[in-house]
Amino acid sequence: MLGVQKMKFNSYHEPETIEECIQILDEQGADAKILAGGTDLVIRMRSRVFKLKAVVSLNAIPELSEVTLKEDGLYIGAMARLMDVSKLELLTDAWEIVKTGAGNVSSMQVRNIATLGGNTCNASPSADTVPSLVVSGAIANIIGKNGPRSVLLEDFFTGPGKTVLAKDEILVSFKLPNYADKTGAVYKKYSIRGDTDIAIIGVAGKITLNAQGEVVDVKIALGGVAPTVMRVPKAEAFLTGKKLTDQLIEEAAVIASESCTPITDARATKEYRTEMVRVWVRHVLTDAAQEAQKN
Amino acid sequence: MSDCENTNYIGKSVQRVDAFEKATGKAKYFEDYQIQYRDLLHVKVLRSPHAHAKIISIDVSAAEALPGVITVVKGSDTDIPWSDLPYASAYYGNPARYEVIWAGQAVVAVAAESIEIAEEALELVKVEYEMLPYVTDQRLAMGVDAIPVTSPELEIAAGYGGPQPEGPNVMGSYKLRHGDVDKAFEEADVIVEEEYQAGKKSTSQIECNGSIVEYQQDGGVKIITNGCGVHGVIKNHILTMYPQLTSSKVRVIQPVTGGSFGNRLFPLVEPLAVLMALRTKRTVSYVLTRKEMYTSSPSNWPVYTKLKLGAKKDGTIIAEKLELVEDAGAQIRGYFDGRLSSSGLMCVYNIPNVHCDSYAVSTNTVPCAPYRGLGCAESEWAMENLLDVLAEKLDMDPLEIRLKNMIKNGETNAYGEKVTSIGLGKCLKAVADGIKIDEPCQQDDGPWKYGKGIAAAGKQNTPLGRAEADCLVHSDGSIEILVSCDEQGMGVQSALRQMAATEFKIDIARVKMTRADTAITPFDNFGASSRTTYTTGNAVIIACQDAIDQLKEAAGREVGLAKKQITIKDGKAYIVGSNTEVIDIADLFKPFDFFTQQTWGLLKGTPVRGRGVFCPAPAVPWFGPGHEDGRTPRMWNWYQFSAFGAEVAVNEETGQIKILKLMSTADSGNPINPKLVEGQIDGGVIMALGFSIMDHHMYQDGKMMNPNMSDYRLPTTLETPLQKNFMRAILPDPLPDGPFNAKGMAESIMIPVGPAIASAIYQAIGVRPTEMPMTAESILKLIKDKEANNAK
Repeated sequence: MLGVQKMKFNSYHEPETIEECIQILDEQGADAKILAGGTDLVIRMRSRVFKLKAVVSLNAIPELSEVTLKEDGLYIGAMARLMDVSKLELLTDAWEIVKTGAGNVSSMQVRNIATLGGNTCNASPSADTVPSLVVSGAIANIIGKNGPRSVLLEDFFTGPGKTVLAKDEILVSFKLPNYADKTGAVYKKYSIRGDTDIAIIGVAGKITLNAQGEVVDVKIALGGVAPTVMRVPKAEAFLTGKKLTDQLIEEAAVIASESCTPITDARATKEYRTEMVRVWVRHVLTDAAQEAQKN
Repeated sequence: MSDCENTNYIGKSVQRVDAFEKATGKAKYFEDYQIQYRDLLHVKVLRSPHAHAKIISIDVSAAEALPGVITVVKGSDTDIPWSDLPYASAYYGNPARYEVIWAGQAVVAVAAESIEIAEEALELVKVEYEMLPYVTDQRLAMGVDAIPVTSPELEIAAGYGGPQPEGPNVMGSYKLRHGDVDKAFEEADVIVEEEYQAGKKSTSQIECNGSIVEYQQDGGVKIITNGCGVHGVIKNHILTMYPQLTSSKVRVIQPVTGGSFGNRLFPLVEPLAVLMALRTKRTVSYVLTRKEMYTSSPSNWPVYTKLKLGAKKDGTIIAEKLELVEDAGAQIRGYFDGRLSSSGLMCVYNIPNVHCDSYAVSTNTVPCAPYRGLGCAESEWAMENLLDVLAEKLDMDPLEIRLKNMIKNGETNAYGEKVTSIGLGKCLKAVADGIKIDEPCQQDDGPWKYGKGIAAAGKQNTPLGRAEADCLVHSDGSIEILVSCDEQGMGVQSALRQMAATEFKIDIARVKMTRADTAITPFDNFGASSRTTYTTGNAVIIACQDAIDQLKEAAGREVGLAKKQITIKDGKAYIVGSNTEVIDIADLFKPFDFFTQQTWGLLKGTPVRGRGVFCPAPAVPWFGPGHEDGRTPRMWNWYQFSAFGAEVAVNEETGQIKILKLMSTADSGNPINPKLVEGQIDGGVIMALGFSIMDHHMYQDGKMMNPNMSDYRLPTTLETPLQKNFMRAILPDPLPDGPFNAKGMAESIMIPVGPAIASAIYQAIGVRPTEMPMTAESILKLIKDKEANNAK
């Protein structure tokens, strides 16, 4: 349509192999951006936030969308669409939290095109997929000019919109390590609208219990309350080795709310976010503990 | 063919005239017309990033040098029509001259061969600002010591009537004195008082404001626009602003358009698009972005209300004192004075002693304009909430206190104006029954607490503006109605068509509607104040009767009967009181042939034209000698009423509100098309849910923080109750002078929604909100404050 704003860039690349892709990225350097689902990139190009010389699409590299169950865990390709991830049958029990995270992103239309890798690399502090992946211990598999490397996902982010990826690197896949027995994991997104809304906060929690019902492992990840998705080591340490009670969970929730550093924006004030961390960490841990006992 | 019993279409839910074209996507909106123009220029505007700043310098040389840029406009250009604008110049979207007075005001505009070139050009413009103090909070903008919205050295009065003694930003005031309020408060057994605030909101229609202006060979312009009021608003304003354009040189066409809810009642994009077309002698298109819709097109006006009520033990309210301030946003010489909003506090209940001091004040925020309800949703927020407080003190229930004090048909309100139609009592009883207000909600141990509430509302209708209609009877016997009223999705074209078919007693399939084009359709003022069904409807009936009269005369002459012996139905002429058909209407038109073409009489191909002009009785001035008390026997026209009831859940941990069940009722007068009225009810309710609990402008550093649809949270279907819990009813009181006794209803629906929810919240968790929207965060704060108080 004539009235629609067009995006202006010099070149569009659609490599068919990872090697070809890396080469193009290396040549284009800082002038290029990677197109995965495009649900963030296209909007920023249209609104002239990004003025790019080149767009490099990952959509013609089939292996980036593969999902493979291996002995050491589940590998999900970075280009897996959020809609597919949200329905992935291989994501059972304690991995189901990844389905929940993916299913919580924006609207169905967006999930149909947006990708797990794209949502991650966009590095929004309130990305719905990330807290679930972080508590699952996900590892980001990266390839660049200097070969492959792997990074624990919680170390992948360096700030809002910033990651450890070099200009010539792409995220290839996520590895979800196998989970232990008696593990429960829960993600809750808190937003005002039922759908098509960005999280005010997101809370993921994973609890592994031993035969005595004591916490052997607990991970808590918070979205939307710090420059990147954050773990809460102090609350985790507080709970480890203990038999959970409502009282202990409430104390951990208070620790979590005291540990975060939210900002005030158009979605909520920092005071409200802090209070919501307390409320939702409590709900998440309570539910995760119940799940753990079941599994 | 239907017989005449089947041609009474009043009160029948006939399918919309535009149902097919809209459902199949064939309807053409103004942007669909861009494709016609191969040489279209695009307008883009650089906007102020500051709430208040002096423009020191503007350098557009690099922008002008960019290939593809045709012209650049800045505020100091001499062809900008600045002088003597009838209302606030800030409305019209033209670039600022000396200073910018809100973040989002136009500074420089570019017309270029493409949108991309225009945007690139704007990035090349260099503007030097000197920051000035600003005020975005209306409570801080009042008073003689307030930070002035415009620099004092510019000597621009905020209001239309010159500088006001109450302060530099005060635009005007409206004061009413009815009875003896001081004495009445002395006699009152119970007195309640509270302050209320309703926030700043955008109408947020999906179709952004825009227009295409085609330059004409005679130096005139053809404007294709989604703006409102092709004659009364757009053409009239353009003629005032551009003296070189005379009446014959401006043609305004409004293609299919959706709702604008008051947002387009002043021309916002048309003046700049016309200027660009006149300068470039080319066709230009100017469409606002979504961000500009929020930062640069008008919002509602927020209202602060301090309300005090006094009642006798039996619940009779005898005294009302109100101090009300409208926030008009960034306006220069605006017409606001508080009168429009304060009307909401004087039209529902019959209170014998009223003291009203109302004001309007400007702020450094997006200029304000009508928004569905014209300030009454914002002001009645105070009345309905305070009535609940009063009811509790009197140990009465909310239904009883309202019914007891509600104004009745034939009574005069505080203005001294007689009420001619009010069906509010049955509306209110129906919602109370509908949500079973007497049955308490079941509570459980979870964080969600449950409550129910009801509220009532009324809204005045404007007496402003005439409507005209033409009625053509074609020689094939079909009818065509030509009207300029705004069809913004409400279905008024369909309702008018039903009126015409009923007047002609003809199958509605034979009635065609032709809409707003100033070259074709006659004058209408604007689609505002829920006036179209009433005002344009009356004009259509007069036009139909005029055409029918001409047909009777022609038929009588043809068959040798007196005019009064003829009646018209089914496209035929009959003898009055019999079923004897005397002639088919189509046969009255003589064939167009060698011998008849130069004769008088009806001829094939030349329709009979009936004319209808309807002027509501004009308002009587409320100022000047004899009106020192602000009262007048005719301030408004008629009143529409609505009641609302809701069952809500409130989350004690988060402050979130869920609407579980609701019922809305409308006193629409006699409804022409009940299905369309129900559609208006449902749409109005969902809009009001957002208005009441979700959407509002947020400001930080003088700038709107949420000018996009992800952060400006409008409700979706997920925020509305399930269909089975979404109830509505039309409970009319016929309006004597309405067309088929109809009146408008689209605005009053908005008004009681917020207060009813607030009442339900109080029942659920024992806190009374005073600020709207009742966001989750604000409710949680009330809960925490209450807990802190209880702990003391």
